[in-house]
Amino acid sequence: MTVRTRSGDNIATALAADRLGVPSVVYFVLSAAAPLTVVAGVVTTSYAVTGITGLPIAFLAVGAVLALFSVGYVAMARHMVNAGAFYSYISRGLGRPCGVAGAWIALVAYNALQVGLYGALGAAASPLLDQWLGVRPAWWLIALVAWALIAVLGVMRVEVNGSILAILLTAEVLVILLFDATDLVNPAGGAVSLSALSPGELFAPGVGALLVIAVLGFVGFESSVVFSEESRDPRRTVPAATFTAVAIIAVLYAVSSWAMTVATGPGRIVEVTRRDGPETIFNLAGAHLSGTVVDIARVLFVTSLFAAMISFHNTTARYIFALGRERVLPAVFGRTSVRTGAPKSGSLAQSVFGCAVIIVYAALGLDPLVQLFFYGGTFGGFGVLLLITATSVSVIMFFARRPAEENAWRRIVAPVASTVALAIIVYLAVANFATLLGVDPTSPLRWALPAAYVVAAIIGVAWALVLSLTQPDVYAKIGLGAEAATGQATPAGFRPAGNMPRHARSRTR
Amino acid sequence: MGLADEFFLIAWDTAGSGAPLLHPRATALGLAGALLGELALAQRITVWRAEVRVTDPRPVDNALGHRILHEMVNAPEHTDVRTWLAYLARNSVEEVAARLIDGGLLRAAESRVLWRKNVRYLATNYVNGAWPAVRVEKMLVNGDRMTPSDMALAALVEATGLLDTILLDRRDRTAARRYLATFMATIPPPLRDLTGHVRAAVGDAVLSYRA
Repeated sequence: MTVRTRSGDNIATALAADRLGVPSVVYFVLSAAAPLTVVAGVVTTSYAVTGITGLPIAFLAVGAVLALFSVGYVAMARHMVNAGAFYSYISRGLGRPCGVAGAWIALVAYNALQVGLYGALGAAASPLLDQWLGVRPAWWLIALVAWALIAVLGVMRVEVNGSILAILLTAEVLVILLFDATDLVNPAGGAVSLSALSPGELFAPGVGALLVIAVLGFVGFESSVVFSEESRDPRRTVPAATFTAVAIIAVLYAVSSWAMTVATGPGRIVEVTRRDGPETIFNLAGAHLSGTVVDIARVLFVTSLFAAMISFHNTTARYIFALGRERVLPAVFGRTSVRTGAPKSGSLAQSVFGCAVIIVYAALGLDPLVQLFFYGGTFGGFGVLLLITATSVSVIMFFARRPAEENAWRRIVAPVASTVALAIIVYLAVANFATLLGVDPTSPLRWALPAAYVVAAIIGVAWALVLSLTQPDVYAKIGLGAEAATGQATPAGFRPAGNMPRHARSRTR
Repeated sequence: MGLADEFFLIAWDTAGSGAPLLHPRATALGLAGALLGELALAQRITVWRAEVRVTDPRPVDNALGHRILHEMVNAPEHTDVRTWLAYLARNSVEEVAARLIDGGLLRAAESRVLWRKNVRYLATNYVNGAWPAVRVEKMLVNGDRMTPSDMALAALVEATGLLDTILLDRRDRTAARRYLATFMATIPPPLRDLTGHVRAAVGDAVLSYRA
């Protein structure tokens, strides 16, 4: 019998070898954020729909608030097992009824974000299809083809390979920077105007709309904590990756949305985007760059949308799986495919919803870009804003019960400041929802959409109460993730006498 | 035949195509859990909640188990079950396959599809390969009395999501799950906690999957 004698901490070394460093986590986070989708699709549509121009400074302001929020968020993540989803944080901080309410809000929000992307694909792919094949299919036909692909890939768990995503992401960022530079060296009227970056824009009427759109641009940053378990040094890697991702997103989007206003002139950006839609950035760049570069950018816009669709589809499917695993949703949603490990039921549920939405929009003849992509995105972004705000409050509550665990800055100062700022953003968002949707202030939509989350939250709380009465064992495990499977919810104090080493590392800490 | 050997024969279609029936991460974690389970059944280690520790460092009767036990003795600072599952899962498929091949129960058939190497594992004797799955199915459907080892095997099969694969008849599944829930209440705590961690690790792998 041969026994290899080992020295040093081989176990930790062997495990760390497969783990992720800061750049890898940043890449994973940013690839879900799909920069070209935001710059070409969201930013241009925002100018067109809201008719106001403060978006660049809104990106910087929201970036600052989210960085502040992340201080407490990543600190709390260190104390969570399977720190994947906002609802686990809310459950641990504000109690299980709020946690389930958060879970329902998240389901609505992430589904809206995913489905909304189908609306932009037509606008993104049509110019290419026309140019290459001379066909102009209906948007819903393109959407259904993409939908079918996503549905199959989701169930088969064929995810886009990480290195392909990294290459696409790098190419997207390079194209965006090239376009920005082109816009900035060719300003309208010959002078670079800084007006869209003026902090005064934050006090303009309708700013709540811009703040929601900015939050939408950041969606995905929250997923950094999913990699806690897989990162080389969770205490350092995840916080560093989160702050890096937030900073990159803030600067990239602020500069890009500002550069557009420089190229058109701040006074004309609304008019130009209303006329050109997502074509705006390609037209602006096309005036000064070669056609090949613009074509590459158009292809990247399509791949960016596609990557975002897969990413949000998988996020939603996993969310449904996580809820099924904890029995917050029926157990069937906790099932996975044996062969592939895909969260099969969650994936199918998301696909069914996506197909239904595409068909309804096509049947009613609604506008895919504004009423599906932009409404879906901003509605989903608003939901994520609500979740971030609730999570920020949860961080305060969580550490209020554990004052010795972190320093005051992480425990209380940053979380309180971010909660106040987020609450103001939520207030402004609700107040300016009509501007966000570009509808008349008397439109029923302006109340119906925010109210959808209130309904989701009420259903969630009611469902939590039903669970607490009918299935107390399920209720007790809400928000515990992995711990739910092993029943470690009870305090770690109960152990057989004297047989545990002092230096034992407890996962729950 | 050890717990990990039987789990391997259930997780791979060794009596047929030689291809895995279960996705790679769950297979690796299930085998890691089975290897720890063997040591727990041999009274060498014990698992309590999130922690595992060596209770008896005397050698076990197989080289692989002995090597793992030796590693655990040498790394007393690692008491976290999930750490050991992750560590052992790195090579568990190859190591258990090698043990089965050494025992003359399995042979590996390598093929290449383009640039990808594909290993199939085939039982040298059809009956040996198919038997563990049939045995677990019969026990669960008939509600037979089970040894701790059988319980651990059935619990691992359920934890990794393989239950529906061995219970081909849908009508059997409800009864089998009910029986499983009954005996999980009587399974020795170390095996209950260990299989619980395997279930949690498999679930987490679904959540944090990356290509």
